[in-house]
Amino acid sequence: MSDATTIRPELTQAALEAAPPGRLKDDPILITFGMLKTFGGIRAVDIDHLEIERGTITAIIGPNGAGKTTLFNLLTGFDQPDRGSWRLDGRLLGGLPPHRIARLGMVRTFQLTKSLSRLTVLENMAVAAQTQRGERLERALLRWLWQPEEARLRERAQALLERFGLAHMAGDQAGTLSGGQRKLLEMARALMADPTLVMLDEPTAGVNPALTESLLEHIRELNAEGVTIVFVEHNMDVVMDISDWVVVMAAGRILTEGPPQEVVANEEVIDAYLGRPRDAADWEEAEDA
Amino acid sequence: MDFDIIFGNAARAGLGPQAAIFALAAIGLNLHFGYAGLLNFGQVGFMMLGAYGTAIVVATWGGSLWLGIPFGLGLCVAFALALGIPTLRLRSDYFAITTIAAAEILRLLIRSSPATDITGGPFGLQAIANSFFDLNFLPDGRFGWGTFSYSSNQLWVMIVAWILVVLCSALVLALIRSPWGRVVRAIREDEDAVLSLGKNTVAYKLQALVIGGVIGGLAGVIDALQQSGVGSENFEPQVTFFAWAALILGGLATTVGPVVGAVLFWFLREGVESFIRELSEQGWLPNALADFLDGAEGAISVVLMGVGLVALMALRPQGIFGRRRSLHLGT
Repeated sequence: MSDATTIRPELTQAALEAAPPGRLKDDPILITFGMLKTFGGIRAVDIDHLEIERGTITAIIGPNGAGKTTLFNLLTGFDQPDRGSWRLDGRLLGGLPPHRIARLGMVRTFQLTKSLSRLTVLENMAVAAQTQRGERLERALLRWLWQPEEARLRERAQALLERFGLAHMAGDQAGTLSGGQRKLLEMARALMADPTLVMLDEPTAGVNPALTESLLEHIRELNAEGVTIVFVEHNMDVVMDISDWVVVMAAGRILTEGPPQEVVANEEVIDAYLGRPRDAADWEEAEDA
Repeated sequence: MDFDIIFGNAARAGLGPQAAIFALAAIGLNLHFGYAGLLNFGQVGFMMLGAYGTAIVVATWGGSLWLGIPFGLGLCVAFALALGIPTLRLRSDYFAITTIAAAEILRLLIRSSPATDITGGPFGLQAIANSFFDLNFLPDGRFGWGTFSYSSNQLWVMIVAWILVVLCSALVLALIRSPWGRVVRAIREDEDAVLSLGKNTVAYKLQALVIGGVIGGLAGVIDALQQSGVGSENFEPQVTFFAWAALILGGLATTVGPVVGAVLFWFLREGVESFIRELSEQGWLPNALADFLDGAEGAISVVLMGVGLVALMALRPQGIFGRRRSLHLGT
């Protein structure tokens, strides 16, 4: 048995050899195999095999209804697949509740930002920490057990807020933040949980161009620090700008995957998602008529 | 018009055992809804279990009151778990419906004839609080001025009840200011977000439900003690809604809100009732109206309280102590 099948025990040698070019990654952090989710008669997600390379930025693109968010929900435990298995760092995640998956290092954000409105920005950050033992009821009243950790958390949170340009709002209730600031806060909060893999569901939706630029900068920095990033995005400029790898979904299936330049030139992708620009030929036809 | 009588009656109710009982129930609800976002419409069920658990041990089984109280509170823990484990995974509105139904089922079971041997059925249980009043070190007689006065035993109940109110308020405040409380408040804001950050939200909600339920159970214990008995007619659904009214009046998610709300609720309720009674006794009302109100002062008082609450919601929806700013951020 080769190395390739030891990290992918669900796949037969034959299936491995038949895998489309690019699908097998050298060092996959996430491997999904045979994942199916149906809603009524619709196959919302139907993926034979998907791998995410460790340390990369992977974009998932595709038309609305392609199953991108459903895939996020399945991978992070917020929804249960009809069948399929997936591994994070070799560990099977099937059947685990979302909080357990998050603790294993896969942390997600949501398409519609979920800021904790009536908590302060700093509290939003602190609640994401995985190291505060005072969160257990039996220790809640024993202040001396968690006070030192609380001080460390505050420092870490403050540093992250500084980096995301939110430090001046640390004491404000998160509900007073603008939409863009909430996106930043949600990303900063996800980092506070110390993830190895971050799943961002449309990080730039509803964010103005200047803020988008700084969001992307943060994503890049994060990636440089070794965090693997998967994100759903409709803005092709963003996709082309920061992703190392692009996975195209349509009707629940993976249409194709590859480096961004290659994917945008793919005829199938153009038909299913990108659309054709009104090129010169169209105009000439129109003028002739 | 004797304002001394009206004010005396109102103050007696506002500081009396009844107000302390509702303050405790509202403190529990505040933890449930104000902090954890759990819509509990069955707080009376917890009060009932606290009261009946205590009374059954003493009156039915001939046990000690000091065993009965922990037994009653233990029943509250069991009720919270039985209620919470199947429903807390569901959306909050399902939970709300379950709580109101469960509390009412419990009351009907308690007063049903098969249960009569244990619960006394429609007759309830009596003479349960002797060992509590044996501890009363206050001299006999009445304490206070005019209508604002209490018997020695009432005052003894009040002292214990208000001490419990202070202790429970302090407990909830300490819990809420801890990292545990931060997670609980975060769940109130958005459960999915908290799940995505690696917290077992169901466990936190269950813990909050148990603690708030046991505080509600304490309210029931005090109720059983002050009447030295229990009766199922004292645990109708309106009890829950009076506790809610007190909580909303005082202000959600504040420490003093439920306490001041309960005091004010009983102060106003008794004050308005006394006021109407005085009006008709002094002949200041037209005869027809006086006849109409005769004997219905209590009901009219509740009606007016309802109108007052509606006005409060329109003018100051955050309650007396709540922060308006927070309200607008509510999602």
